[in-house]
Amino acid sequence: MSIEKEFRKLIAQYSGVSPEEVAASCRFREDLGFSSLDFMSLLGEVEDEFDIELAPEKLCDIHTVGEAMNLIASMV
Amino acid sequence: MKNIRSLWDETVKKYGPLTALKWLNKKETEEITYEKFGENVKKIRRGLEVSGFAGAHIALIGGSSSEWIAGYLALVTGCNVAVPLDALLPAEELSDLLVRADCAALFLDKKLLGYAQKFLKKCPMLRNIWVLSTEEIESGDERLSSLSQLLSKGDVMFDVPGAAGSDIATIIYTSGTTGKSKGVMLTQENLSENVRSVEYEASPGCVVLSVLPIHHAYCLVMDILKTLSLGCCVCLNDSLLHMVRNIGIFKPEVMLMVPLMIETIYKKIAALEKDLDKHSIYENVLGGKLRIIFTGGAHLEPFYIDKYEELGVDILEGYGMSECSPVITSNTPSDHKKGSIGKPLKNVEISFKDGEILVRGSSVMKGYYKMPGETAAALEDGWLHTGDKGYIDEDGYLFINGRVKNLIIMSNGENVSPEEIENKLGINPLIKEVVITGENNGLTARIYPDPEVVEALDLTHEELKLALHQIIDEYNASQPSYRHVTALLIRKDPFARNTTGKIIRKDACLPVDALTG
Repeated sequence: MSIEKEFRKLIAQYSGVSPEEVAASCRFREDLGFSSLDFMSLLGEVEDEFDIELAPEKLCDIHTVGEAMNLIASMV
Repeated sequence: MKNIRSLWDETVKKYGPLTALKWLNKKETEEITYEKFGENVKKIRRGLEVSGFAGAHIALIGGSSSEWIAGYLALVTGCNVAVPLDALLPAEELSDLLVRADCAALFLDKKLLGYAQKFLKKCPMLRNIWVLSTEEIESGDERLSSLSQLLSKGDVMFDVPGAAGSDIATIIYTSGTTGKSKGVMLTQENLSENVRSVEYEASPGCVVLSVLPIHHAYCLVMDILKTLSLGCCVCLNDSLLHMVRNIGIFKPEVMLMVPLMIETIYKKIAALEKDLDKHSIYENVLGGKLRIIFTGGAHLEPFYIDKYEELGVDILEGYGMSECSPVITSNTPSDHKKGSIGKPLKNVEISFKDGEILVRGSSVMKGYYKMPGETAAALEDGWLHTGDKGYIDEDGYLFINGRVKNLIIMSNGENVSPEEIENKLGINPLIKEVVITGENNGLTARIYPDPEVVEALDLTHEELKLALHQIIDEYNASQPSYRHVTALLIRKDPFARNTTGKIIRKDACLPVDALTG
């Protein structure tokens, strides 16, 4: 499964929308209804799933699915 | 003796060979017995005395760690005053609290070492900082060393006596309705009585996973003091990013959570429901051994209690606040009612005044540190005004049905003062009036822009919206996530005000004049 597909599947677990509906422009909080803890849990799963370690200072700049995807892609 | 020292000495004597704490170091699990941990606590306590800090106020800033807990226990089992602070606050706010709490020294998380010089410069009373690490620190500044220095200094024969029950043990900062946080003074008796009075279903060796922020009264008193006093094995969650994974690693029987955590974990459960049976979900998401979740700090929808019950986990709600050390009422495994927040603890009396819950008892705080006006307003003849409205039913269970004070309670249990955020945002000349409200587990800024500034800058509506979003983004970047503003509403008219000129908050949410979401 591609990284993007797997990431959308993880997002769908927290948002209640199907993976296909998760667009790159979606904002985690406003569009997908993520709480701050949902967001942290998602990133924890991303770390485990893709075997990467996300730097805490970079996480503040992530608001959209696309921004998160770019960060993951640059690290995998 | 009604102090934490007698409680702790009894615990170490009774449970010496059992595991007190477990934590992850990278991916390896480490642990320490009550006996060894008790030795470390004793050495730090003696080291503080030898270093000339007897009776001093000493802050702790950091995440959950065995070093943090050892430092805290050393302070409160001796005669110091511990001041746990939120490590997620900006350095300026932490400096301000260090000054306001008269801290003479500080235990600091290694990850926050970069703050050390700023604190030493801005806090004239601060004489020493010990980094919460057993490794030596090469700082070139004799005021900055590591916990190992205290441990070696404390390798002496004499010991420090425990404090009196009426002495202050801890000052915990909590959001104030005026926008300035207040230091809740809890005595030795306040804390030890709360520990003794809570009914908690766990026997020696029972595994408990601690996931709450360690500087909170609920975590400090229940996850740490209470759970250790029962001889349980307290496992430390290293990061909220990995809470679910760590449940799988440590396999706890009991956990304390705020509603937000219960809701997030439930999303995982719901996502797996179509593919896995209940037993597999219980094993995969809840570790396979979880029996009880104690929760408090915010409202929890009864829906979640039913859903977790289907998996064999009892969620027991309680009620408390830092000012009451913190637990006031609690449901217990043998005595609970859904939707209620339980019965009062045995050391608590409850009464009502105009519907507001008042609390009296041995766990009610001594007052707010150096805030006599606020203390007098909160304590009336020994009765604490909780700011919550409620009632007790015919069976003796307490229910909450509203709030008197103007604080927003987030589902992670954090109390947010809207005025504090309004004051910060309101500084910008573009913002004439702002009201912060709490909706859908987030904060909304309702802003009336200054029409003169908008006109002078010739801003279109889209440009105005962008400029306000930028102001909010800048504010968010400097604050912990629970204080983030997550939505913006721009008003075309000013807020309605009362005869004294104050904004009528209850009318602020009326959607009639919102231009945009």
